[in-house]
Amino acid sequence: MNVIELQDITKRFNGLVAVDNLSLNVPESSIYGFIGPNGSGKTTTIRMIMNILYPESGKIFLFGQEHSGTRIDNVGYLPEERGLYKKMKVRDLLKFHGELKNGKNLKNEISYWLKKLDLSDWADKKAEALSKGMSQKLQFIVTIIDRPKLIILDEPFSGLDPVNAEVLRSAILELQKEGSTIIFSTHDMNMAEKMCDYIFMIYKGKKVLDGTLRDIQDKYGSDTIRIHAEQGSAVMQNIAGIEKINDFGQFQEIRISKNADSQEIISEIMKRTRVYRFEVTKPSLNDIFIRIASPEKTEKENA
Amino acid sequence: MRKILILAKREYNTAVRTKGFIIGLLLAPVLMGGSGIVMALMHDKVDLSEKHIAIIDQSGIMTDYLTRAVDERNKSEIYNQETGEQIKPVYFIEIIQPDTVNSFQQKLELSDKVRSKQLHAFIEIGPNILHPTGDGEKSGIRYYSENSALDVVRDWFSGSINNHIRQLRIEELKIDDKSVSDLFSWINLEGLGLLSVDKKTGTMQDARQIGVAESIIIPYIMVFLIFMMLMMSAIPLLTAVMEEKMNRIAEVLLGSVTPFQFMMGKLLGSIAVSLTAAAVYVIGGIITASQLGLGDMIPYDIVPWFFVFLILDIIMVGSGMAALGSACNDNKDAQSLQFPAMLPVLLPLFVMMPVIQEPLSSFSTVLSLFPPFTPLLMLLRMATPVSIPVWQPLVGLIGVVLLTVFSVWAGGRIFRTCILMQGQKPKLGNLIKYIVRG
Repeated sequence: MNVIELQDITKRFNGLVAVDNLSLNVPESSIYGFIGPNGSGKTTTIRMIMNILYPESGKIFLFGQEHSGTRIDNVGYLPEERGLYKKMKVRDLLKFHGELKNGKNLKNEISYWLKKLDLSDWADKKAEALSKGMSQKLQFIVTIIDRPKLIILDEPFSGLDPVNAEVLRSAILELQKEGSTIIFSTHDMNMAEKMCDYIFMIYKGKKVLDGTLRDIQDKYGSDTIRIHAEQGSAVMQNIAGIEKINDFGQFQEIRISKNADSQEIISEIMKRTRVYRFEVTKPSLNDIFIRIASPEKTEKENA
Repeated sequence: MRKILILAKREYNTAVRTKGFIIGLLLAPVLMGGSGIVMALMHDKVDLSEKHIAIIDQSGIMTDYLTRAVDERNKSEIYNQETGEQIKPVYFIEIIQPDTVNSFQQKLELSDKVRSKQLHAFIEIGPNILHPTGDGEKSGIRYYSENSALDVVRDWFSGSINNHIRQLRIEELKIDDKSVSDLFSWINLEGLGLLSVDKKTGTMQDARQIGVAESIIIPYIMVFLIFMMLMMSAIPLLTAVMEEKMNRIAEVLLGSVTPFQFMMGKLLGSIAVSLTAAAVYVIGGIITASQLGLGDMIPYDIVPWFFVFLILDIIMVGSGMAALGSACNDNKDAQSLQFPAMLPVLLPLFVMMPVIQEPLSSFSTVLSLFPPFTPLLMLLRMATPVSIPVWQPLVGLIGVVLLTVFSVWAGGRIFRTCILMQGQKPKLGNLIKYIVRG
């Protein structure tokens, strides 16, 4: 069963198309990653799913029901730009949001999540006393306090240190295991690769990728060599068959031309320098993202 | 409705459970009545310093009299006969010969003496005061001081000089002074209400004396109370909503509630805050008035109207304020909108006195039937001792209900559109567009 079905939705702002004829199905209990450059239409799509914005055309179904004017309980939403009533105490704030969402067994849920996200000591402090990272974790608890069936997280990891990001990741996975469907938008491609069952990429309001990571990578084939060479990218210049070099410092990612032979390219590099490690692989999500949304591509399209 | 109540409860608790609310609740009537209390306390505090007054008597008939009168006053009125305490200042007069050549120079020099506090004032008595001619210059009496309009010394000299002029005129007529003592006896018309029959007991109710309190103060307090409640709860919605929009609280809440529920929750919270404060004031006012034996001055029959108009006015103004708040992007936007948005609340205050004086005039009637002004002005008219036609409050109420419904509908449409919109200035044209398109 699909928890979300978008059917040909379009949204314009002052005549500019923000989301263009978009269709998408999100299966139950999946983690669906929304990726795309800034201003591509991710947040607008999420706001339409949340019924905060209304599409000009097309239909949106949540849990099999077409959107009406009301808010549907069982949906947790963490917006990209979020705020809290700073003068309220953490526990009161969670109770307030839990009641708004018609949450059950709130007292226990509040204690459970505060403990899990290491905020128990702050339960009776005002929200304004929390650090940025703690506020973000509190925002997350506000979103899931009623254990909703659908959880939509807009940039949930932004600004979090690796420890807190891991805590949040584990909480998200716990909710998924219990049957919740998770949508999250992110610019962190590593996190998307690690966590998402499905990836959806939107670019200039249009869907450009949709499927499992493997499906998406298969489309691009094994056209990438990840290599760790002694003299770095300097020795890889002017080798026939190399289309693009992404230099990450400690290793390089080489995209090869369609008809080039990866073995020949590797042996040519080995003639020039010492190679510690190499791997012929499919492109990373990060690389695919850049291929689609790179400035060169945009320039080419505009030309 | 459940979600609206949860939002309203939070608003209410946030507003009421603060020291600021309790202090404000106590302080507002103190500030309101403060000037009255200060005036009452200061009433007996008279300036007892000596007063030197120069007299330029061009008539030649006042010099001796005023010298005697001031002496007499200084002997008999300065000290309390029983306690011996000084209760009034001593007056000294200095008779100045009129300068017929350069009277301006003479008055200028006296003015400088007043400025340097050598004199309190100087009085110029025209030559024709006994039998005034058309020439105001020659028939007038002029009192020069730094604050002549409010100077009590002027009142004493005015009374003394006129008494003497009257005396001189009687003497000229050669009439016995005692036979005309009634001539100047002035009888005031006592202001009374109307007689009535008690509907329950059937007993005759005699007319009651109508004082300034019932004519002006009670209506004034009623209207000021509504105004104060609006200032306390509805007007701040503009900045409260703007801040929730800017702090991105709005979008978090909109994940759980619709924009309309959000707005109504805030409105309902404001109504609850106002009703709490109003109930404290009304009940406190009634108890205090009863304790002071002034209970029958309170127009109990309009207390329900007070609460009905209060609630509708808060919804009407509050929904407009919330909508405008949602359209603002920063404090500058909010500041520029606050004053024009408050005009429908402020304007009735400027016409309060003419409406109290003539509650039945067409000016008062028309303005009180204009829905934005109805809650304040209709209540004001109803609170005066004058009976206004029964249909007028009802028609006014219908107008207010219709405007309130429109205000909530239009405010909801603006709110829904603007609460997440950034960067658009809250221009009138845009706001109308949002109302029309939704």
